[in-house]
Formats: sequence, structure tokens, C-alpha cells
Amino acid sequence: MSPPPGFDDLSGRVADLAPVFREPLDSPYEISNELYAALRHVLHDVGGQIDLPLPFKEKAEEDWEMNTYVTCECLGWRGAWNSEERRRAENDLGATLYFGLPYYARWATVAAKVLINKGLITPDELTAKIDEVRARMETKA
Amino acid sequence: MSHDHDHGAHDPIQAPEGVSEFEILERAVRELAIEKGLFSEEDHRRFSEWAESIGPSGGSKLVAKAWTDPEFKARLLADGTEACKEVGIDWLDPTGVGTPSDYTYFYVLENTPEVHNVIVCTLCSCYPRPVLGMSPDWYRTPNYRRRLVRWPREVLAEFGLHFGPDVEVRVHDSNQKSRFMVMPMRPEGTEGWTEEQLEAIVTRDTMIGVALPQADWTASGPPSAAKANS
Amino acid sequence: MTEYKYAIGDRVTVRDGTTLFHTRTQAFTRGKSGVVVEYRPEWVIPEDEAWGRDDAERGGRYEPFYVVRFLQRDLWPNYTGFDIDTLETEVSEHWLEPAKEE
Repeated sequence: MSPPPGFDDLSGRVADLAPVFREPLDSPYEISNELYAALRHVLHDVGGQIDLPLPFKEKAEEDWEMNTYVTCECLGWRGAWNSEERRRAENDLGATLYFGLPYYARWATVAAKVLINKGLITPDELTAKIDEVRARMETKA
Repeated sequence: MSHDHDHGAHDPIQAPEGVSEFEILERAVRELAIEKGLFSEEDHRRFSEWAESIGPSGGSKLVAKAWTDPEFKARLLADGTEACKEVGIDWLDPTGVGTPSDYTYFYVLENTPEVHNVIVCTLCSCYPRPVLGMSPDWYRTPNYRRRLVRWPREVLAEFGLHFGPDVEVRVHDSNQKSRFMVMPMRPEGTEGWTEEQLEAIVTRDTMIGVALPQADWTASGPPSAAKANS
Repeated sequence: MTEYKYAIGDRVTVRDGTTLFHTRTQAFTRGKSGVVVEYRPEWVIPEDEAWGRDDAERGGRYEPFYVVRFLQRDLWPNYTGFDIDTLETEVSEHWLEPAKEE
């Protein structure tokens, strides 16, 4: 019924060893229309893209994740942004951050970014506050 | 890593130890926002309370009531948002105008012998939080969002569901302001049950459409875990 | 009183307009035809909402939205399910046009 333990891990590693032809993009001089269309594709529009079956996992919200969700909703509640601005901001992060960050990390990142974009906070205020919070939390830990 | 289960689906993800940069970022944003008057600490506390109060039991109550009261069922199908008030759920909570991410347009999708409904949001992970609580981790993954719309029967099979060619599998891609919940069919073997007994078998996954309620199994864990344990 | 250009039962096609920066009209629906099965209210379109124009005062444009039901076999090449399967999603009016005669 189930594969032997380690089968999926082994198969995954074998797949990782398949040859890949990499075409690095480092501000190319020109690109094809096909590549441009792919680059333009709005990131969150993933329905129907080919993907492999992966285990569907459960995970309870950690405290920081619940706090992130609540912070984002409170910002919407009191008018700093609306949820569609949040969703567009997640797309605007670009593919590396959109797919590289965990779900709620995306929320936290765009909350910070949009507040800066709107001039509600400044980037140096944010980074100073991050340093202050980090120092505070690391002395507690 | 302590996981050696071989029923890989639905394994819980372990959180890393220590303070994460994301936790620091969130707290920094929150403190700045409060300092700037973008929202208040009281707002955050009130919304947190609401977020902790929601869960699948809201939806279970709706379904159990619909199963036992045909007139309620008709009201629920005609106006989901309004009917929720009859089980104490107000889609305008906790702000008075609804939540920024969930809006106030709630529709219940009735499963029948001819139609099986299942829900996804391919674009993000829109979910009816007021009636089901926070969405499952897997519901938010690009993997589920990519695959359910195009290979619904394969994905449902991974959840243990199989339907024949006479059952229309109807996928709802909730891509705008509507929020959906599935009303599963009442299983056999539940004749004469109270609403409380019925609620216990209406699990979160049955209201997303990736599980079917079973008379001999209550909401104590994901379906594959239950099967592995039996 | 919302005026709906399309009636329940009308066959409609999702336009394949150029999309830049943001959309909630999925690529997999573009150029595909389905049936209007329900009305939704008039909502501010995501093309406005996503840039903060989320109500009339802020310049948000309202449009009727429709629930469109597609046959899966019309959406996907070599659909692996059964002919009876469907998908429903919501589309704003300006993304729809009457389906061409097939």
C-alpha cells in the first residue's frame, strides 16, 4: 500500500540529479515574446499549471502567524489598505519572494512594504524598529 | 526529524525553534502601526479574540441544522450570509462591516447524488473564515491551487474520495468576493440523531469538499490519519 | 437596481484581453466559453480595488459579476475526469462577451 520508507526521499533526490539546462537572466539585451509573456504572467494565477502530487500537510497557526493575520486585517479594518492591495502587493514581490517565502511571511513582508509605499511609515523607521524588537526579543530569550 | 509515518498526507509541520525574523518583522510592523495610529492595540486584541473564536464548528452547526430543518436549509441556500445569524455567526463581525479578507457574500453549495462540490481559490486562498475558521495549510499551497481545478478527481482521490462517471464533480474557484462552503449529504446510519451528534461528523474537510461525513467517525483528526489508525 | 447585460442561461466567452500587473480573471478561462448560472452583486472591480480605489468616492468602478459554469472538458486539453465535470468561477461583466456560435 505505502512505498517503503525513504522511497519518496530517494526518488526526489534522483529527480534533483536530472540534467538541467539553465538560461540565466541577468538583464538580457533582448528576450523573445514568449519569454516576455511568461515574465508578465501575474504570479498568483497558478490554476491549471502542471504540478506533482505532494503530501497535503496540516499546520496550526503559530502565534506570530496569527498576529500577522490580525495585524494585516486591522490595517484593512482601519483603512490603511484593503485586502486586494495586499494580494497585489504579494504578486509585486516577484516570483522569488512570492514562492520563496512562507505564506504568512509574505503577508508580513507586504504589510511593511505597502505601509512604506503609502508613506505611512518610513523605511528607516521600520528597520530601526526591527532592530529594536530583535534586541528586545533576544534578551528575553 | 521524528516523522516516520508512511501515510505522508496530513503530517503536521513542525515549527522551528527560536525567534524567527518573521516574528520580529510582524511585531515591528504592529508596533509602528499602533504608534502611528493606523490601528489601536484594542483593535488588535478584539480582532485576535474573534480570530480565536472562529472554527469549523460554525459550519458544522449550519449543516446539522440544515439536515434536520428543511425550512432552515432553504433559507441557508437562498441567503447564506443571513442564515448564519441563526447559529450566531454574523459576517459583519468583528468590525461591524465584515473582515477585510472575507467580505460578506457567503454561499452554501449543496451536494446531491448528482453533484459533488469542492472549493479552491487558485489566486490566493480565499476561505469562509467566519464559518470554518482558519484555512488548512494545504489549502493555501500553490500545489493545491494549481491542481484542484484541472485534476479534481486525482486530488480528491488523494483525499480518499472517488466518484463515478454519473457524479458531476463541480469545482468552485472562489476568485472574487464570494465565499463558499459545501453542504455535504447526510450519510446513512444517522437517522434520529440530534443536531449535536450530527455536528460531530461534519468536519472541516467535508465542508471544503475533500471528505464525506461518515456516521462512524467524528472530527478527531484528518481522514487519512483516522484510516491509518483503524 | 443592477442592470445585467447577460441573462442566466446565456453562453458567454471570457475575453483574452492583455493583462499587466494584476488580474483576477484566470488565464485558464481566457477564450473559454461557459454558461451564466447565477448573478452576483455589483462589486468594485479588482482592477480598481487593487490600487486602493475601493469605493465610489475613491474612483472605484462597480460592475455586475456573474457565476460562469464551464465544462472541464472545454477548459483543459485531454481532461482526465469525466465529461459531466464542471468548474464555476466568477467574472466581471467587462471580461465577458457573448459566446460565438459554435
